[in-house]
Amino acid sequence: MRKAVQAIVDVDIKQNRGVVKSKEMIDWDRPHGVRVEFRIDGRIQLNGDGRLLTYLEGTTLVNPHLKLKYRLNEADWVSIDRVSDVLPDVPPATLPHPHTMKLGEFITHAGLFGKTEFGKFLKTGFSRVSDLTLKDLVKNGIPKSMIDAPVNKLSEEQFKNAFQVIGKTELQSPSTRSVLTVGEESLAKSILRLGDVDFFSVVARKPRICDFKPVVVEVALARFLNRGSEDESIQLLRFANRVPLQFDKGACAITAAVESVNWRSYGLPQSKDSLPSGPYVFAVSVVSPFIKFKNASKETIDASDELVEEIRRALMQAGQKLSRHIRRENKEADLERKISHIEQFGPILVDGLVRISGAKESRKIKAQEGLKKLLGRDARDAEADLSDAEVKLAALKEKQAKAGLLFSTSSKEDAVESEVDDDLDDGGEDEEQTGAAARGTGKAAVKGTTAKVVEKPTAKPVATTGKEARGTDKVATTTTTTGKDARGTDKSARK
Amino acid sequence: MDKVIRIRKLTKDIPKEVRLLCDSMLEELEKANRPVLEAVKCSLDNSFYNPKVGYLTPGDKRVRTELNVSSVQKMARVVFMLEVLLANLQSGAVNTKRELCYISKGKVKRDPKLKALDFAGQDESDAIIDFVGDMLEVYREELNCFANDRGGQTYSQQLVVTETLPDDSKAVVDLSALGTTPFQPKNKPQALTLKAKKKIEFCLVVESEGTAGSLVANGMTRRHNCIVMGAQGVPSNGVRGWCKLIQEQLKVPMFFCGDLDAYTVQNIYRTLKAGSAASLIRNADFSAPDVHFLGVLPEDVKKYDLDCYNVNERDPAEARSLKKAKDALQNDPFFQDKKNRKLSQILEWLIKNKKRCEQQAFYAVDPKDPQAFEKILVDKIRADLIFRKSLSCRSPMEGVGCAGH
Repeated sequence: MRKAVQAIVDVDIKQNRGVVKSKEMIDWDRPHGVRVEFRIDGRIQLNGDGRLLTYLEGTTLVNPHLKLKYRLNEADWVSIDRVSDVLPDVPPATLPHPHTMKLGEFITHAGLFGKTEFGKFLKTGFSRVSDLTLKDLVKNGIPKSMIDAPVNKLSEEQFKNAFQVIGKTELQSPSTRSVLTVGEESLAKSILRLGDVDFFSVVARKPRICDFKPVVVEVALARFLNRGSEDESIQLLRFANRVPLQFDKGACAITAAVESVNWRSYGLPQSKDSLPSGPYVFAVSVVSPFIKFKNASKETIDASDELVEEIRRALMQAGQKLSRHIRRENKEADLERKISHIEQFGPILVDGLVRISGAKESRKIKAQEGLKKLLGRDARDAEADLSDAEVKLAALKEKQAKAGLLFSTSSKEDAVESEVDDDLDDGGEDEEQTGAAARGTGKAAVKGTTAKVVEKPTAKPVATTGKEARGTDKVATTTTTTGKDARGTDKSARK
Repeated sequence: MDKVIRIRKLTKDIPKEVRLLCDSMLEELEKANRPVLEAVKCSLDNSFYNPKVGYLTPGDKRVRTELNVSSVQKMARVVFMLEVLLANLQSGAVNTKRELCYISKGKVKRDPKLKALDFAGQDESDAIIDFVGDMLEVYREELNCFANDRGGQTYSQQLVVTETLPDDSKAVVDLSALGTTPFQPKNKPQALTLKAKKKIEFCLVVESEGTAGSLVANGMTRRHNCIVMGAQGVPSNGVRGWCKLIQEQLKVPMFFCGDLDAYTVQNIYRTLKAGSAASLIRNADFSAPDVHFLGVLPEDVKKYDLDCYNVNERDPAEARSLKKAKDALQNDPFFQDKKNRKLSQILEWLIKNKKRCEQQAFYAVDPKDPQAFEKILVDKIRADLIFRKSLSCRSPMEGVGCAGH
């Protein structure tokens, strides 16, 4: 029988850390996984920005592998099943990318390599630096003698010069393996869990360097049939490294990016410099080993121009896909309107003309026939427009089906709208989506909260993606033992 | 019902024209062709101004409405409204636009087949009535549709108005016998004949009705042989037609006094003098081309040290007014005409200085003297008249008083 770790974890609110109690090894009947159970006792507000249900929804969305079961007060249990059984690869540790460092960091990093030759230091100390890159660096101004010189013999001036040349030289984008993205496919499945989706579009951008750090932006836009209204602003769900951002929405880079897009051109109503309106949920996830937050509580991503532009691009891509559905709807409404106009106004027009001109009944019948012919032609044109729009949409869906982004198991298969971003020139080796690692995102920040964790750790190295800017686990993570990845057990106790 | 007095001698037989129009539309439908309705395009880009004519006239541009699925609603509504108006013309009944909106609603309520035609609001029915007028090239008054009376309160000790009533009886109104009550022209056409008991020196139209009342209460009409009229903002058709009547029948110099701001110059004064782009087909009878702008002029601000306000560009109405002034300079043929150079210079001054000055600011010149404003106005008028006399012609700058030259 496999073994797993079971423990009770208490949250020390004052020190903001978990305290592990009653740790023990138990039998475990599953190959891997984590199970976290906790009870929240306190004054809780449920709906709206920064409220519990929004937090749970957000967590559900960006963790397709998560199975969530909860009960609010005396209400019935709510169970949300996982939509992805694919075991996410835990990202391997990745060397830093040369473009992600500032000069001081570059020199400090070099200090770790002592007598190593400068060229070797670049190749072994950084990712995306190869022999070919070294040749490019020499071509761009680094003396060949410097490449062979030991790092500890180089002057600050030489480092400065080398740093500038590296900055100017085009390198491959940083590896996506270093970040835990949700992935388009998983995001597309996961968004269906939030409610009755009319249609949606998801976009996962390739990694980009923003403010010297690798960043991946993922966006899911969905229109719901059973939430929100045409007059209300869209619901914006923000995520930083899979953690829902609950507060201070106005100052966040994600909000700034959403407001900067002209959504009217995609068919969504929007007042100037504000969020668009409609029964939509916009989910924007920013993933990076180094997210710059605006405040110590890590609730707001700093709105630097580069990051806002990157998020904006992702939103615009998703908006373009969304607009195909909206445009088709408009065409449909147009046809409906035209047909109803013919039926409604045609006879009234003819009757009025006959009454005023005092024409006979025979003329009336003839005029009605003529009118039908005329307006029928227009309706046929509108029908042709609609079928054109439908053909285009079907072609797009076929393309996506080939890419594996349509799900026959879902009743909403027609609604899926997603596209792999191919407008970046990034090296394609890192396109594999890492999905979700078995990490608890339970954020037990309520007084008196305790959690019991049963965990079977993994033999694979834990995702050390540099300085991950935000630990998502306030409950518990790895500790011990053997074998392969672990999945949770039912045997956890509740305090 | 009373016979309705007409504004002009109309050569058109409106009911006949309407029947012919409907008959031709029906004929087109029988042939499965698309009937077309055409109307004069009433907009600035189809407006022309010739100072010799004196008002904005329409160009050749037409608005064409061809029957298709998008326009079938409008066409059905036009025919529906034509039927309502035709019934009014035949019975002699008259209505306001609002009443016509409710008449339409009443018809729709009684006939479920017409439900689709129902107007959501008065703006929708107004647009159809305006289109009918532009299409037939007739005034709304000629369709027995009249507006409410607004503005034009007139005071004079010399003016006598004789009104010929529909039954051909005469009603004589001596304005000097009305006491403190003004004579108010109606938006409904009136057959009026004007006579002056003594030679009238000038006619002054004041933008603010309140200020006109104050001038009269302080004795202006007793001291001067004049007509004082309150415009009450943008002059209504009644006021414009009344000014035209005074100009034509009495041939007295006419002056306009209003605020120094873009709205007054381009909306109030321009409409009084040359009509508006929205009513191109009616400007001939509803404008007074001889009216002169007396002020407030930019030079008055300096000369009398008048209090000004800065235009608040954050206020949407004021910002819009400034933008419209810029547009007027670029697109309005009235302000582009060289005869109106002085007026366009006023707009340029307003855009540049972003200031506005109210007509009441003249009351700050000599607060102890209740007649100070009157004296300034009379001085400006006399200076203008002398200047014009000296030239033995009209002011070189058409439309702007010469006071201050």
